[in-house]
Amino acid sequence: MNRTLHAAAGLAGITALLLAGCATQPAGETSTEDVTITYSNFISNGGNEENLAAIVEAFEAENPGITVEVTTLPYADYGTALQTDLAAGTVADVFDIEYANYAAYQANGVLAPLEVSTPDAYRPSLLEAYSTDGASYALPSSFSTVVMFYNADLFDAAGLEYPSAGWTWDDERAAAEALTDEAAGVWGDHQPVSFYEYYKVLAQNGEQFLADDGTSVAFNTPGGIEAAEWLVGKSGTVMPTIEQGQGTPDFDTNLFLEGKLGMLHTGIWMFGAFADVPFAWDIAVEPGNTDQASAVFSNAVGVSAASENVEAATKWAEFLTSSQTMVDIRLDAGWELPPVADEQALATYLEKDKPANRQAVFDSLDGVALPPVVAVGQTEMQDIIGEELVEAQAGRKTVEEALASAEERINALLAG
Amino acid sequence: MSILTPPAILPDATAAAAPRPVRPARRAGRSRAARIRYSLTVLAFLLPSAIPLGLFVLGPMIAAAWISLHDWNLIAPMRFVGVDNFAQLLADPATGEVFLHTVGYIVGYLPLVYIGGLLLALALNQSLRGRTLWRGIYFLPVVTSWIVVAIVWRWLLNPSTGIVNTALAAVGVDGPGWWTDPAWAMPSIVIASAWKDLGFVMVILLAGLQSINPDLYDAARVDGAGAWRRLVSITLPMLSPSTFFVVVISLINGFQVFDQVYAMTGGGPGGASQVVVQQIYDLTFRYGAAGEASALSWMLFAVILAVTVAQIIGQKRWVHYA
Amino acid sequence: MPENRVLASRPARVVRPARVALHLVVVVGALAMLFPFAWTVITSITPGAGLTLRPSLWPQDPSLEAYATLFAGRPFARVVLNSAGLAIATTVIQLVTSATAAYAFSRLPFRGRGVVFAIYLATMMVPLQVLIVPLFAELRAFGLLNTYLGALLPSFASAFGIFLLRQAMGQVPRELDEAATLDGAGHGRIFFSIMLPNIRPALATLTIFAFMGSWNSFLWPLVVLRDPELQTLPIALAGLQGQYTTAWDVVMAGSVISILPMLALYLLAQKHVIQGVANSGIK
Repeated sequence: MNRTLHAAAGLAGITALLLAGCATQPAGETSTEDVTITYSNFISNGGNEENLAAIVEAFEAENPGITVEVTTLPYADYGTALQTDLAAGTVADVFDIEYANYAAYQANGVLAPLEVSTPDAYRPSLLEAYSTDGASYALPSSFSTVVMFYNADLFDAAGLEYPSAGWTWDDERAAAEALTDEAAGVWGDHQPVSFYEYYKVLAQNGEQFLADDGTSVAFNTPGGIEAAEWLVGKSGTVMPTIEQGQGTPDFDTNLFLEGKLGMLHTGIWMFGAFADVPFAWDIAVEPGNTDQASAVFSNAVGVSAASENVEAATKWAEFLTSSQTMVDIRLDAGWELPPVADEQALATYLEKDKPANRQAVFDSLDGVALPPVVAVGQTEMQDIIGEELVEAQAGRKTVEEALASAEERINALLAG
Repeated sequence: MSILTPPAILPDATAAAAPRPVRPARRAGRSRAARIRYSLTVLAFLLPSAIPLGLFVLGPMIAAAWISLHDWNLIAPMRFVGVDNFAQLLADPATGEVFLHTVGYIVGYLPLVYIGGLLLALALNQSLRGRTLWRGIYFLPVVTSWIVVAIVWRWLLNPSTGIVNTALAAVGVDGPGWWTDPAWAMPSIVIASAWKDLGFVMVILLAGLQSINPDLYDAARVDGAGAWRRLVSITLPMLSPSTFFVVVISLINGFQVFDQVYAMTGGGPGGASQVVVQQIYDLTFRYGAAGEASALSWMLFAVILAVTVAQIIGQKRWVHYA
Repeated sequence: MPENRVLASRPARVVRPARVALHLVVVVGALAMLFPFAWTVITSITPGAGLTLRPSLWPQDPSLEAYATLFAGRPFARVVLNSAGLAIATTVIQLVTSATAAYAFSRLPFRGRGVVFAIYLATMMVPLQVLIVPLFAELRAFGLLNTYLGALLPSFASAFGIFLLRQAMGQVPRELDEAATLDGAGHGRIFFSIMLPNIRPALATLTIFAFMGSWNSFLWPLVVLRDPELQTLPIALAGLQGQYTTAWDVVMAGSVISILPMLALYLLAQKHVIQGVANSGIK
């Protein structure tokens, strides 16, 4: 009995190993005239499935002989599934990636270099973000920016001027303090304490996260400490503390929806959710301290280096990211912003109301803070800085201690 | 104990394990054919479970052991590094911390959920009006997803606006920071977990209670045993196989606690509630260190196995089989 | 002295303070248990609860909009059927594999039985998170990715179920099988006609947990079933939460849909737990 069990176990184990070992191995065989390519995505998840289907349909009509098979996964679990596929060599021909993971995938040879037929169609900064040594390894599929939302009624009630392009941190701080009325449960400002905010406020203060050679951090400077204090110091003065609920899902947007938040730093994806609120609101480019810098989040698609149909896959990737069909469908559905260079194509977006100042979305692109990216340890680096900043926010560490600790931990991580 | 006179057909469960009947396998002078037939019978009963467990659980477990000897980010080819991953884990203070947090969870969770589940099972084993309905209600949290449960418990345990601290304040107690405070994050998870799993323990123990022969109680009543006496002399000993099951399973699951931590605190604040399996998940899918993750899971395996084997050996002292 | 009364009046019908207290505790406890579920239901019928993730027990303008959204534009019925089919298959298969193995561990002594049982238990001791990748590679080799069978195979047998039933069999008096052996019954007959009827409460319990395990399982179906046609309920529900925003009313409607069948199954199985004893033949 024992022996049978061991034999069975051993056999299965060895089989599994052999397979797990060969990481990137081409899957299946095809390639006559008609090809089927697979596309694994999360971007359409949560309401845009039909919009993606419409883009696929238009592509297939334009490219007879190519069929696109779409698999949609929940955003939160997409990474787990993609990693499993990469490990087992079953990755789709075309798949979604996020900017933060681009460097690691590129460095590990997962992505095929792409021959982009119309590079001019893309917003240059976005295309550039997914290039390495002059070659494109992924194509941006959409972008969103983070801006400052404000409740105009609260500003009026306090007799304050609305935020405008020339604002700096000092203006924001003064307004936030004037707006905060703890007795009425009204708070002046809300900005998450996280990695994604920190690299941006560093840029707003003329600092950078990583040293130029990318092998150590550069944020533990007087300017970097000032930036961290700007983030963390809001908590308990003009922004609720963690104990009061800050940091729980949707806490900030709820507060804004209830008309109890003066200013909110969040992404333009919230336009739809705020469309029907019973008070006046608008947006402005985020104030900087020494520089103007805004966060841009972009998704992209890559073509698998192991794909048997790189050409057809590239065609689909380009269509998905730059075709007029895609632009029309995205703008019509309010499904983030297309990554195209031609601002004329985005005219309909600017014409829409709520918020009125949609121009701020494009103005924010004049100064973009890109996240620091490393090929090994990206996620862990993000986790560490987030954790240390929250320690400072909760008052368990001083800002100086938190940044010193983060510096030490991340440098150790980057040293390998 | 002498006051109990159970019917003859049932062995006295309260006495030390009665001598077993002679085991067929040890019976001398059995023919070769009979032995082969017996072996085939054993195989027939075992293979339906042995084959799938061997192929789809033990196999991957052994593969994981192999991976633990490699440096592997799931993407690039594997690189053999021997026991480096184990050495690195042992040298890393974070490893001890995650084990400590996990053990802390178990120490808080197990007594709460067992005693609570036992009281619940005893209460709902009484003749109550609408008993089935009550049982259903107490089972609801078991089937509710952790996403929902975590939202509700974070709200109940909100340090400044939560019902719990509001109630504590009303009786003059300054409530703790619960999940926002490193010292109270794990207790918060323990409370929510015990609350959610009470119904699970209740169901197992109810099935165990239902299997106890009512005649035993009648006999005990005749002998004048009170409620407490009946509980200690009949119910608990007769229930011990179910209790053993609950304890072993709770420990195995407790060492692998993950969902509730992920949903309630995400391991925070400041890593104060980071547990072993969350570390394993992060290493595998987020930090690109699948080899290290496999090594850590084999360390976890060794700990769970040791604890379980100790329980199996120890059960002879207190578990009474019929 | 109540102890001296004869067994006639077993469950005391007299109103005693202890019984009143018992009822009170059970009812108050039940309210605490009911609360999250009640909140789930209420959020699901609060349109545009979109973002108000604040537990509220008063729905504003209740409507079933979220349920309509759930079933519109998604093959939701198909998803529910997939989950139900897989859960039923898992349950039936696990009942068979668990009962047979438990019988061997309880009633068929053989050399090394303790070690084999320990190996069985050991299969519960490594977290799924590290097994996913090798398991996925293995099923790929068998050509079983994107198949129902591939989703089912890893849960064909469950150490949990085997252990549960072994413990239940341990409570069945050995005198019963010995009497049957004297009557000439073999292990097959003892298994079917003595063991199974006597462990009905445990079988009902395993039915609940096996079904629940499959119905809620997430990680494995996520990676093995990619075809939208094969998707299961938990994956579809996770898909309701977007990259940046979540429609909570729809998520909660999905939760309600996922809770109800299990609650129904539990109530059904409960009856068997009770009847099981009445008919069990323990006398």
